[in-house]
Amino acid sequence: MATTASPFLSPAKLTLQSRLPRATLARRSVRFPPARAQQQQPQVKEEEEEEAVANLPPSQDEGEQTSAARGPAQSLPRQPLAESKNMSREYGGQWLSSTTRHIRIYAAYIDPETNAFDQTQMDKLTLLLDPTDEFVWTDETCQKVYDEFQDLVDHYEGAPLSEYTLRLIGSDLEHYIRKLLYDGEIKYNMMSRVLNFSMGKPRVKFNSSQIPDVK
Amino acid sequence: MQQGWLSNWLVKHEVVHRSLGFDHRGIETLQIKAEDWDSIAVILYVYGYNYLRSQCAYDVAPGGSLASVYHLTRIQYGIDNPEEVCIKVFAQKDNPRIPSVFWIWRSADFQERESYDMVGIHYDNHPRLKRILMPESWIGWPLRKDYITPNFYEIQDAH
Repeated sequence: MATTASPFLSPAKLTLQSRLPRATLARRSVRFPPARAQQQQPQVKEEEEEEAVANLPPSQDEGEQTSAARGPAQSLPRQPLAESKNMSREYGGQWLSSTTRHIRIYAAYIDPETNAFDQTQMDKLTLLLDPTDEFVWTDETCQKVYDEFQDLVDHYEGAPLSEYTLRLIGSDLEHYIRKLLYDGEIKYNMMSRVLNFSMGKPRVKFNSSQIPDVK
Repeated sequence: MQQGWLSNWLVKHEVVHRSLGFDHRGIETLQIKAEDWDSIAVILYVYGYNYLRSQCAYDVAPGGSLASVYHLTRIQYGIDNPEEVCIKVFAQKDNPRIPSVFWIWRSADFQERESYDMVGIHYDNHPRLKRILMPESWIGWPLRKDYITPNFYEIQDAH
């Protein structure tokens, strides 16, 4: 993993950290031991082409390993001492993100308790799932979205860490959530603050196989 | 094809061009090669076309070339119908490079940036040629005819 190709390049291991909406945080804030996170070591998003090429062969080996020992995607451990860093104006006052209604992806560490936004850790992606609580989530459906997120992150490995790539990942996740909704695995939260059914009005006897382009 | 007086003037001064006829207002349209465009632009400016009224670009056809269009006007005092001309410069899609006219007509600045953003023509010698409408990390040229829109989740079903 020692990359000495260019000086500015801190090898950004693209790893996964999942976070849940505030109302359900206590129920789902169990931190797993980072077993799969160890396997994610060669998931490198590089700014440069030669780095990506250099890291491709181990990633394919790793892909076989993970497909062999494929467990559920696990979040990285929490960092209790994290602080907000690099958020001021001299750092540009901006961040890499893909924010749609149900999926917020940030290329930073965001602490689930204190909301510390640590932009020095751009090797991590933080996923906020449905912050407006439009759907009713269970642990299983959350885990499905996390697994899909991990698969997408694996799939886009080697792509430049840019807003475009994050938007591709976030859009695929939104399509996946819509597929879950059409398959009846999740449903609208009727107690949410706004009820505008942003993924289509509720209907009966309908699933995603009737929609050709849902995913 | 009937040639306009400007085309005849250019022929007289041995400027390589090709007349594309007249548009509905009778304004002459000339096609000029990309490698000649920087010198011919200077000639046209010296002749008196001191105002670049608009610059735009379009994709001619799938698999075809890209076009950059310049509408030039000669602004003078006491003139009701100023002379106008329309210049089209074509560039191949595999290497679309056209000399920038920013240093002749400064109003080409944002318009050439938009042309670069939308159809991907690289304007040589433009001082800050970068995307102006799309995000800077965008991939692809959205107004080309072979552009495929990514399946982004943005159009919501909610009313």
